[in-house]
Amino acid sequence: MTVFTLDALGPDANRKTWRRGTLSARFGRALWIVPVVLALAVTTFYPTVFLLGLAFSKSTLGKPFRGFVGIKHFATVLQDPVFLSAIGRSVAYAFSTSLLQLAFGFLIALLFTSLLKGGRFLTSLVLLPLMTPPVMVGIAWKLIFAPAGGLLNGTLINAGMISQPIWFLGHPLFAWLAIAVADLWQWTPFIVILCFAALSTIPEGVREAALVDGANGWQRFWHITLPLVAAPLSSIYLLKLILSLKLFDLVYILTFGGPGFATTSAGFSIYRRAIEQFDVGRAAAETIIYALVIGLATLPVVRLHQHFERREL
Amino acid sequence: MRLVPRHLWLSLATAPIVGFFALPFLYLLAVSLKTKDDVLNGHFWPTAPTLANWPAAFEAANILGFIVNSVIVSLLAGSLTIALTLPSAYAMLRLKIGGRWLSDVTLSSYMAPPIVALIPLFFLLKASGLLDTRTGLVLIYGFANVPVAFWLLTPFLRRMPIEIEQAAAIDGAGPLRILLQIVVPIIAPGIVATFIIVTMLAYNEFLFASAFTFSDATRTLPVGISLFQGDRLVNFGQMAAASLAGIAPVYLIALFMQRYLVSGLAHGAVK
Repeated sequence: MTVFTLDALGPDANRKTWRRGTLSARFGRALWIVPVVLALAVTTFYPTVFLLGLAFSKSTLGKPFRGFVGIKHFATVLQDPVFLSAIGRSVAYAFSTSLLQLAFGFLIALLFTSLLKGGRFLTSLVLLPLMTPPVMVGIAWKLIFAPAGGLLNGTLINAGMISQPIWFLGHPLFAWLAIAVADLWQWTPFIVILCFAALSTIPEGVREAALVDGANGWQRFWHITLPLVAAPLSSIYLLKLILSLKLFDLVYILTFGGPGFATTSAGFSIYRRAIEQFDVGRAAAETIIYALVIGLATLPVVRLHQHFERREL
Repeated sequence: MRLVPRHLWLSLATAPIVGFFALPFLYLLAVSLKTKDDVLNGHFWPTAPTLANWPAAFEAANILGFIVNSVIVSLLAGSLTIALTLPSAYAMLRLKIGGRWLSDVTLSSYMAPPIVALIPLFFLLKASGLLDTRTGLVLIYGFANVPVAFWLLTPFLRRMPIEIEQAAAIDGAGPLRILLQIVVPIIAPGIVATFIIVTMLAYNEFLFASAFTFSDATRTLPVGISLFQGDRLVNFGQMAAASLAGIAPVYLIALFMQRYLVSGLAHGAVK
């Protein structure tokens, strides 16, 4: 008796064979997915349960689970304006920079598509920022924005536009802009590659038909190209949103959350609470609240994505 | 007549974009060749280029040791991720084991930020005696990148013509044999691309590495470099040299494997 059936290989009878199969046969089938289930257990299920346990108990990094404290940690977190504004900043940052990067990346991809052969080469070239370790990205941009000897200050001074160097990373707004620029530099290439791929799935015939019908460049873009890539664009946006909500490395290297708490992202805040202050009970409650906020905030995008996916079918 | 100016116009638009993306590399390179005084004058290129920063950076911190740790950890973690993901992805897609539910859970688990797992994994590693070990990092990265590998591998599996597998099944080959002898060779480019990407993710990872390692014997390169810049004797030239040394291995791979990489990333998104 064959234990497995290939999808679409056999008639339904075949599938029934394994359903009625021996216990060992079923066990053999289950073995296939053990690796992924194990990975999910270690990286997702166990952390969730463990975090819940920590969030409701008196816990430090050295001594976890010292007594039940109810919702005390959650109450503390929800009354902590510093952390709540860190969440707000993280979410606002993720939504705005992802949208900006999607627009920028899509435009570059359109440009590269028009360049034909050269575009393919350039697409490979822009791979490099994506592969650069985020820590090194942070350092490169930190050198550019540095007050003494930084490229930006040097250029502005030599051009006579400022007389004294500006400490960009010490200014709340400029510091965020610096993080956004470094982020844009690192991740736009990824969006370019994905948009380039999405654009290359549009059949040449569609464009030609529109040309024959006398559609101008803007009409072709608005009525033909954009609707055809709406579904992939929404999934690219969702993906970048998820990545942006994980913001940590660039904050750590460029600003370490400062000046003050101005650029402290939710992730960075939780990290410091747990690793520097050892207050893992409160950090766990913060993590759970942040995860809930992410789930709620990304829900509209997930829905939008599903809407486009369905329309495609 | 109109084609030439249009092309020229497009090329003109491309130049600043390429310039923007090249800027940080070129500046790192330029700074790594500058003396301390030269850094302060604020010009792009060094006035009197020197190579002195390079050996100095390797002496100031255990850069070579960090690179070795990173390379070992990322290669083993990448292999582990592929070994875990490939059979399961194949089973979910072709053998219909676990079904759509497991596939959805695997993909959506990637949505949670890694900070969620930070504290629990810290205690898990501590309990198993793997805190501050390379083995611990290999296991964490190997597991954590499974959703990414799954996302990248499934389009390749899905696009494989099922007839070949059916023919092999009729000839009496079992599923494991079909996977290893027929599927793997055909989707090898996809596996290579996925392996490179998950290995690179492990090489670049910073959050877990900074929390789970505390000695020079285990620290990976991003952590080592981040400490470098924490030192108050910040020397821009050395920092730039150390950063470039750490980027070099990834770029070498990227240059040789770019074809695989672009297609591997692109297939995942478009389906």
